[in-house]
Amino acid sequence: MTPVPDGIDLPRGSRTLLDCISDLTHHTFCVQTEGELPSNQPPPTNGAAPGLSDPKQWVEEHGDYLFKYALLRLRDPAKAEDAVQETFLAALKGGRGFAGRSAEKSWLVGILKNKIFDYFRKASRETSFTDLEFYADEESERFVPDGLAKDAWIHELGPGEWSHPGASLDSEVFWKTFQDCSGKLPKNVAAVFHLREVDGVDSREICALLNLSESNLWVMLHRARMALRRCLEINWFEKQGEERAPKKSLKMV
Amino acid sequence: MKLLTKLKDALTAALMWLMPSCREALRLQSEALEHPLPPARRAGLWLHLQLCKWCRQYGRQIRFLQHAAHHHPEEFTQAAAPGLSPEARQRIREKLRASQG
Repeated sequence: MTPVPDGIDLPRGSRTLLDCISDLTHHTFCVQTEGELPSNQPPPTNGAAPGLSDPKQWVEEHGDYLFKYALLRLRDPAKAEDAVQETFLAALKGGRGFAGRSAEKSWLVGILKNKIFDYFRKASRETSFTDLEFYADEESERFVPDGLAKDAWIHELGPGEWSHPGASLDSEVFWKTFQDCSGKLPKNVAAVFHLREVDGVDSREICALLNLSESNLWVMLHRARMALRRCLEINWFEKQGEERAPKKSLKMV
Repeated sequence: MKLLTKLKDALTAALMWLMPSCREALRLQSEALEHPLPPARRAGLWLHLQLCKWCRQYGRQIRFLQHAAHHHPEEFTQAAAPGLSPEARQRIREKLRASQG
């Protein structure tokens, strides 16, 4: 969670995290302050309170996002659909109410994440998630092949400067490009990338989940990062100044 | 003069032996995102990064991408394709209805 910067005024009546914590002792539901609650709305109570999303709406509201989340990690539309379905079923049984789409979405993603983890645990016992072939040469052609300066960057081929990378985060085309680049990662490397870089799962936990050795995990991560960096460099950052349009076929060196 | 050149060469060779190569430095920077490097490695990497702007750039860039992906999971996920097809949506709705039956 990124912290709220100083100087932001919360609307009157907003509930802060401290309010939520003190409320836990009174068994009322905790609602994240997302700017979604008008200040005069009473706190939610058990069951379906007014303004809460109807489970019948869940598929419409959250189905697409949950499916994408699952597909990125499982790389199989049928498995992703199953995972989403099981998530909704489990959520129905859970029967909690939330005010605010955001909190509800986070909760559903949490359930889905656990389903995905279960899948990984089981799958890694049957097939290996190790992939030491992807990007194995590690862009060797961009390094000095021999002599005193062996394995140094060939100067003109080294990483260029990315000017104002932060500004890219506001661009939909940037995110599409990032997605397309990560789509080029093979299945097992992609799983590792999503768990570590997007979800922030601890290295050791990933090793346990995917039955990988730590050293193999680090190699896979290094190569994924290298490949992604290069892909984004070619397809996004080197195009600054030109019109940035998504290419039909991405170069993945 | 010859002695000075020899000394300079020896010093350079020693430094290069102590420092990782660029290829190594990239690998080490990635590993440093996973666990603290052992002190000798960390020192060698630090020295290399003082001298090599390309490797510095690389490190900045992979950290930027990690930060971007981790702090913007919504934008990242949303940009994925394809989404839930109408047929799949219908299948899920029906199974939910059946379970609430």
